[in-house]
Amino acid sequence: MRTSTRTFTRLIAGVAGLAALAVGLSGCSDSGSADGAGDTTTVTFRIWSDDAVAAAYEKSFDAFTKANPDITVKVNQVPWANYWDKLRTDLSAGGGDDIFWTNAYNFAPYADNSKLVNVSSKLSNEVDAWEPSAVKQYTRKGTLWGVPQLIDGGKVLYYNKELVEKAGVDLTDLAWNPEHTADDTFLPALKKLTVDAAGRTADEPGFDGSNLTQYGFNASNDFDAIIGNFVGSNGGLYQSGGKYTFASNAKAEQAIEYVVNLVDKYHVAPSAADTNGNGDFTRDQFLQGKLAVFESGSYNLATIHSSAKFDWGIAPIPAGPAGRIPVTNSIIAAGNAGSKHADATLKVLRWIGSEKGSLALGASGSLIPAVTAAQGPYFDYWTKQGVDAKPFVDGVADGTLKNDVIPNAAATADDLTTALDEIFAGRSNGSVAAALKAAQTAANAGLSE
Amino acid sequence: MRRSSRLVDTVTYTVLIVGLLITLVPFVQSLLTALKTPEQFATSPATALPNPVTLQNFGDLLARYGFLRAVLVTLAVVVTIVVVQVTCSVLAAYAFARLRFPGRDVLFWAYLGTLMVPAIVTTIPLYTLFAQAGLRDTFWGIIAPSLLGSPYAVFLLRQHFLAIPHDLLNAATLDGAGTLRTLWSIAVPVSRPIIATLVVITAVSHWNNFLWPLIITSGGDWQVLTVATASLQTQYNGNWTLVMAAAVISLTPLLALFLVFQRQIVSSLAIRGIN
Repeated sequence: MRTSTRTFTRLIAGVAGLAALAVGLSGCSDSGSADGAGDTTTVTFRIWSDDAVAAAYEKSFDAFTKANPDITVKVNQVPWANYWDKLRTDLSAGGGDDIFWTNAYNFAPYADNSKLVNVSSKLSNEVDAWEPSAVKQYTRKGTLWGVPQLIDGGKVLYYNKELVEKAGVDLTDLAWNPEHTADDTFLPALKKLTVDAAGRTADEPGFDGSNLTQYGFNASNDFDAIIGNFVGSNGGLYQSGGKYTFASNAKAEQAIEYVVNLVDKYHVAPSAADTNGNGDFTRDQFLQGKLAVFESGSYNLATIHSSAKFDWGIAPIPAGPAGRIPVTNSIIAAGNAGSKHADATLKVLRWIGSEKGSLALGASGSLIPAVTAAQGPYFDYWTKQGVDAKPFVDGVADGTLKNDVIPNAAATADDLTTALDEIFAGRSNGSVAAALKAAQTAANAGLSE
Repeated sequence: MRRSSRLVDTVTYTVLIVGLLITLVPFVQSLLTALKTPEQFATSPATALPNPVTLQNFGDLLARYGFLRAVLVTLAVVVTIVVVQVTCSVLAAYAFARLRFPGRDVLFWAYLGTLMVPAIVTTIPLYTLFAQAGLRDTFWGIIAPSLLGSPYAVFLLRQHFLAIPHDLLNAATLDGAGTLRTLWSIAVPVSRPIIATLVVITAVSHWNNFLWPLIITSGGDWQVLTVATASLQTQYNGNWTLVMAAAVISLTPLLALFLVFQRQIVSSLAIRGIN
């Protein structure tokens, strides 16, 4: 049953008509990208994909446009997985959005190559309104390169109340110690919370670490949630002076080895085979009620609140020999130095660094605003949900991990992750210290190329 | 004799069914995940059946994430490219196959040689070119690089046109038909299966195209389906139920396309087999 020539011809004509319509439509909508001289200026604002944050910004920018009718702001979301490649491509071709989000791991090359607006000189009056840790993180050679927008605060231990009560463990004031096991109250607590298939906990004889039904802790190759906090709490330096020091710095190496032992020696955490490369695994295990203590940041608060079907609580992270020192991160909005609308861009930057501009961000409850005066709505939002979110901000009271930015860290980041994955999987050929040293040497060698 | 053939049948069917399951299970899994609530996906094993079955993900995609626009943009891109590219490729292939002009073969092999260059190598220069031409984040920016032909299509069609018997085409010329008339009335109807295959290949590859639309567009206006799906994942949340719903939406038009053209695809494979 072949289609006859006439039907075929009609089919072709129909499709061609559709194509012509599509081309015509494109011509109509094309003018949106060019802005009319003298009328409204459109400032483009790029963030990585996050629906809640985009909605909050749009609310904020509606208020901005009411106060400044000649400027509209367009929020562009770019997929997180491709954000950095796209940013580099766009900026090196002389394009890119007028304002874009960046984080501490990635902003340094752009700052050094004069691609960013100098905020400390252009917005010097506003700097006091912003969270000091965020300002410090993005000050490079004395200049601040963006307007801090969101901060992580510190890290906390989310815990499953039922599992913890059943094991009879108290999480409020735990301490860990890599050298003096007698002072370590963290590991014994985790052992009580880890159960194998035969119902034995990790501190009982005959415990089978390869067949777990309940995990105690989410130790894994995750710098922000786990490794950075242990390194900081031991007084170590993960990177310094533009190079990695996690193996050469004795305290950092000690802390990482402690975490690796939690996985491979004491089996109080899921096997690295499950956690390597799967950032959601431990969180999902926690939500399924199979993981007792989940160390993480404020970025997981919303998910846990909406998905956990059990009673859960928040406890401070275990104190190390140097105190409770987490790694903290923040996000800034950097201005594009090559923007065609420098004045409008500066106005928008000033707006999002102000209390009025950041109120909507806090009220969305997704992350803590860096504008200190605008943090109130964030805590109010969570109090209404029945959660006390103050531990996130209190968690940085002892200090935060000193984390000098490595400008071209992206060059060796993937290889470093692979090397660390191998160490966590127990494939260090007997000596974790030696394997870490090899990983550090390889990562640093790649940086200088 | 009958027993052994029944045994062979059973084994054959078993192998085929196992192969079918292996191929189909991922798609079924995607569909089931798309019908789950995010809470259920996080808290129960991945292979659990959706309970309750929900269309919330599809609703969210259309209402909150602007997916309808992405579908329309992708449709427009694919339809435009398929129509123009296939037309131009047919014309070019016929010229390379049947017309004589100086430098024909050199030009053909040079054009085919560009197939050896990986797409990633030309992406940055292409982007810089388009950025300077002001075509960033526009419909033309997405379609222009592939609009006027593809070396693969030209090669495929040229081989096919070369295989058409000379007598057939000469008969048309004897009757007074010009080049275009011969092409339209003789060569194209004879090559219908291969053109149909080409339409499907071109449509599928441009429907799935991710890298170029990602680079040339930013923001929600000209997002294609692939980029819109990638945007569903945030830094800390895989949003898998949404992503699977997006995958189901993306898959359906391609399945429909295959169902419409499957006879032509199969018959074109058969013809090539006989040759």
